[in-house]
Amino acid sequence: MTETAIQSIITGVLMGMIYALIALGISIIFGVMNVVNFAHGDFVMFSMYLSYVLGTALVWDAVQTPLLTFPILLIFGLIVYYLIIDRTLRQLYVVQLAATVGLQIMMRAAALVIWRGQPRALQYSFIQGNFEIFGFQVLTSRFVAALISLIFIAAIAYFMNKTWAGAAMRAASDDLDAATLMGVNYRRTYALTFALGSALTAIAGGLLMSFQQTDPVGGIRFGFLSWCVLALAGLGSIPGLIVAGAIVGIAESLQVTFFNPQGRLLAVYAIFILVLWLKPRGLFGRK
Amino acid sequence: MKQPKLLNSRNIAILAALAIAIALPLFLRNNQYVLFLATTVLLYAVLASAWNIIGGMAGQLDLGAAAYVGLGAFTTGTLLIRFDLTPWVGMFIGALLAMGVATLIGIPLFGFKVKEVWYALSSSALVEVFRATFMMWNKVGGPTERYLPFSAEGPRSWYLMRFNTYVPYFYIMLALLVIVFIINQRIRYSKLGYSLLALGEDEDAVEVLGVDSRLCKLKALMIYSFVAGLVGGVYGCIYGYLHPSFFSTDMSLEVVILGIVGGMGVTYGPLLAAIFLVSFREYLRASLSGMFPGKGLEGLYLMVYALILIVVALFQPRGIAPLIKRGFLKLKSFVGVK
Repeated sequence: MTETAIQSIITGVLMGMIYALIALGISIIFGVMNVVNFAHGDFVMFSMYLSYVLGTALVWDAVQTPLLTFPILLIFGLIVYYLIIDRTLRQLYVVQLAATVGLQIMMRAAALVIWRGQPRALQYSFIQGNFEIFGFQVLTSRFVAALISLIFIAAIAYFMNKTWAGAAMRAASDDLDAATLMGVNYRRTYALTFALGSALTAIAGGLLMSFQQTDPVGGIRFGFLSWCVLALAGLGSIPGLIVAGAIVGIAESLQVTFFNPQGRLLAVYAIFILVLWLKPRGLFGRK
Repeated sequence: MKQPKLLNSRNIAILAALAIAIALPLFLRNNQYVLFLATTVLLYAVLASAWNIIGGMAGQLDLGAAAYVGLGAFTTGTLLIRFDLTPWVGMFIGALLAMGVATLIGIPLFGFKVKEVWYALSSSALVEVFRATFMMWNKVGGPTERYLPFSAEGPRSWYLMRFNTYVPYFYIMLALLVIVFIINQRIRYSKLGYSLLALGEDEDAVEVLGVDSRLCKLKALMIYSFVAGLVGGVYGCIYGYLHPSFFSTDMSLEVVILGIVGGMGVTYGPLLAAIFLVSFREYLRASLSGMFPGKGLEGLYLMVYALILIVVALFQPRGIAPLIKRGFLKLKSFVGVK
């Protein structure tokens, strides 16, 4: 019983790191631009399919595919920003949300049309097998995925804190008018933010493809999971995202292990609702 | 002051539309497919008009319509299967239940100032949560369909609300639509309506002026969920079975699209959008289903829907209703009526 629980918690923590990486994307988009990208989960689904296509065509391993999908999603993010997001910045909130909801439906529909709604998976990754820590089994593929996620989260934290572009992003987030006066081109900064946030899903997508399949409705789940992580962590705290990701991952994993796998979102929903009620700023929120 | 005439051009237009709608089944009696299509259009128009109260007026992007529809359908259907209670009563119990659930969730959500994206997320998650719950709850739902009973006497039964033609369903939906329109219109020009509209623009300013925004939003949510639950009761009877797939994210999204494309805060907007978009969807389904096997077709019309939603959000955020209104005024000045 305890052993199963610990085993389940380990799996949950490892999954949680990927959720944290996905949530980091919406966190910087929402935090810097105050724009809600409802389609973020579908970006993950889309990049998973992209990984599948490239992995099959080039006979690459799933973990390699972000080398190509990262730039593709960066460009995709730029296109989406200039085509849609840029025009909705000054609109009513509902209209802004509606535009990204439209984007979400569009991406899911495209996946339905192109891949006929069938789940797709890549061949086995070369990272496979498992190893033992203190008598508990750890899947190597998930461990590597969690490790790569953490590395990229750290890289983004460095980028945000130590580079000029990152400083511009943080400045635009704090006070847009003052930042503009200081010579920050807010459109370029926003475009970069949105593209970077989107491109992070490419890494998550590649990592996820190394041990699971993708299907068009999966985007809804990833979207909800990552918003839940963000709600739990609060805006503006990158270490908070890691802790929140772990909590959400554990909750989901325990639900699947001990109750019914069909209701895997129920535990996450319970956390989400409780956080909204009790701690609307999240556990580590800066603003 | 000029007294408004009872038979002004606006009222004439409304009466004419109503008369056409009432007479429609007489012409289509033999074409069940078109009748079904018309019923579906009305069903979505009712849902979108109810959404208009919380989404269009109060500016809360509620993505949970299917949760209330599903609850209504399951309550009505289960009461009929288990206790032999007529859907005419059951649908009101289902609507009350849907309203109760919405209120239970709404009080803390609005009380703790959950708004904007968080409200949209929690309402869209509600649909998924209910689907998962009913999937696992084998006594009421479960993965197999539950069929509603047919009457022993014949194919038609008013008691069971089961008919071998879509005409009665059409009239039920038409009646619901008229009721929702009246509710919409009454709210629009009441204190609640003005508060809701202001709320949609700037919530903090409204609070400063002494309006209890929480109560207003809660009222809007209650009306909306009640109507959606009512529609759900009839929805189950039209399809003749119950299944957790009634809690469908696509349906909730479609309601929102109709509400926004039709024009937020405009009473007749959702009906116009429903007539155009739902018929278009059915047309695609009828004409192209051979070319796109599997779920490809579903994707195709969703794609068109999404494109329309994005284009409207970017270039015509007030929806298509103002365009129609302008056209109507032009027509009036052209004919020479004042």
